[in-house]
Amino acid sequence: MKETQIRGRTYREVFEKYAIFIAFILLCILLSVMKPMFLTPANLLLVLNQASINGILAIGVTFVLITAGIDISIGSVVGLAGVTAALCAQREIPIIPSFFMGILSGVLVGAIVGLLVTKGKLAPYIVTLGMMTIIRGVALLISGGRPISGLPAEFGYLGNKNLLGVPIPVIIFVAVAAVAYVVLMKLRVGRYTFAVGGNMYAAEASGINPNQIKMFVHLVSGGCAGLAGIILASKIITGQPNSGEGYELDAIAAAVVGGTSLAGGTGSITGTVIGALIIGVIANGLDLMGVSSYWQQIVKGLIIIAAVLLDRNKKRQ
Amino acid sequence: MKERMKKWLVIFMAGCMAAGLAACGSKETVAEENTSVEGQTDSEEIQEPIRIGVTLMNFQTEFSIGLKDYLEEKAEEIGGVELNIVDAQGDAARQVQQVESFIGQQVDAIILQPQEQEASSPCVDKAKEAGIPIVNVNSLTTSEPDAYVGSDDIEAAEIAMNYIAEQLGGEGNVLMMHGHAGQTAEVKRTEGAKEVLEQYEGLTLLDEQTADWDRAEAMALMENWLQAYGDDINAVFCQNDEMAMGALNALVQNNRKEGIVVVGVDAIADALASVKDGQLDATVYQDCQGQAEGALDAAVKLAKGESVDSETMISFILVTQDNVDQFLN
Repeated sequence: MKETQIRGRTYREVFEKYAIFIAFILLCILLSVMKPMFLTPANLLLVLNQASINGILAIGVTFVLITAGIDISIGSVVGLAGVTAALCAQREIPIIPSFFMGILSGVLVGAIVGLLVTKGKLAPYIVTLGMMTIIRGVALLISGGRPISGLPAEFGYLGNKNLLGVPIPVIIFVAVAAVAYVVLMKLRVGRYTFAVGGNMYAAEASGINPNQIKMFVHLVSGGCAGLAGIILASKIITGQPNSGEGYELDAIAAAVVGGTSLAGGTGSITGTVIGALIIGVIANGLDLMGVSSYWQQIVKGLIIIAAVLLDRNKKRQ
Repeated sequence: MKERMKKWLVIFMAGCMAAGLAACGSKETVAEENTSVEGQTDSEEIQEPIRIGVTLMNFQTEFSIGLKDYLEEKAEEIGGVELNIVDAQGDAARQVQQVESFIGQQVDAIILQPQEQEASSPCVDKAKEAGIPIVNVNSLTTSEPDAYVGSDDIEAAEIAMNYIAEQLGGEGNVLMMHGHAGQTAEVKRTEGAKEVLEQYEGLTLLDEQTADWDRAEAMALMENWLQAYGDDINAVFCQNDEMAMGALNALVQNNRKEGIVVVGVDAIADALASVKDGQLDATVYQDCQGQAEGALDAAVKLAKGESVDSETMISFILVTQDNVDQFLN
């Protein structure tokens, strides 16, 4: 059983990717028929831009989900990283080191979560649930509960400027996806990540140290959340302690829509990227059509459920 | 293995408890101070301070923090008032418990910034039952308090929308960004805005959508609206300044601010700075200081047994580049 699962993975994954990709194309065709302006290059670039923050978060959390873990602290990390970077910039630390500090705060949270999960042997859900409120509290504490604004104009470049006609957040998103793809699909640590999620004891028996892998995925998740946080802060040129609330759910949804299983062992970066795009396209498309936000929430939920159903049927075949 | 787990668990719990104790430390000292004050009441010779318990909605929102700061300032100024200000953390049930403990401490008056109209009503009922005067600040509860000091959100939206109508000469297309659906401020600001829209035949509400009071969400929504409506947009009314700042940022980054009027409500620091710079067209000032001072006045008078007006309305003020300086301190 286990063996066929491991051997059959590549075929099945191609198949899954295919299904979600078709769904994505269909959705885009549907939207462009209903609202022709959806298909303009400017709007497509906008969708990519808007999807990039959730996409980066989703890529990070995909690593954790593949090991059968979960990380719901990432939304709070977005707030913490933004506030950290903004506070640094406000104290006249140059912009790039400020952003670096923001990302570092995310990595640090990832390290704490990783330690509690591996050394403390606590369930990731419980640890990150606790961290979610702790980190939000820290973000509020260090910012005094108020948005940190009045930042230098350069602080906004990362989130708002274009490079060769492409918004910088999109470039970062693509770069993160490319690196994540290589790490997960081509490197040994990626294979180990799948192995730990597939069957931890088998992985351990074959000489993999599950704790190292778990530590690694939480560092990735924290780092990605930190990166997403500074992009968001730069976009609104403000460090907002409340920002990122609920983002963990959209990120996990993107991964799940993209075929990552919450039970661990399966998942892909391409799937997650498409999942994030689907969620971004829905928000953009429904805004264009003037659909009320109440309906938007319902549609988003339906698509998450439909994607998982689709995925399960594919697996049965 | 088990031993190790236990060890970590113990360390973790100890850490939690230490943190918890540190956090509670300040509250405990307040309680002790209170009892020592009560000790003095017997002698009657020393002028005892008026003790007022204050529970505010949420220290994560700027308005609650503002109320807290102004209340403390004013208490300092008039002297002889001891405030115990607590944070309901956005939870109406917690707010009721806080009022119960104020009653237990036998405070002289209570100031309440209700979390919810219905669910915070027991606060008022319990205080009245215990014979402790209670003042609502900022918003109302279904149960009627001894005094209410606040502002009417309908008026805020009317002021904002009238300004837009004036700027557009009564003609044009308006977009409206809503706050979190169903909250009192969202409902009332929608009501006020629509009343004004109805008065002007030339004004069309092009689209309306919530951005949940949030700057980043508002930015994304505005970007999408720019795609959808492009040059048809003449004005954007945002039900709070956070969203106005997000919408403004989207317009500025896309070089589309020219010819589009953007107005928010609340007059937060960022919005005032932006009005000063000539970016944001206008915001509406909810007089936080006026509300805090009015509420404290009423609470002190009630504690002394004097009578007060059952309702004090503090007006909203339109802030544009002409008068922004008086709000920037």
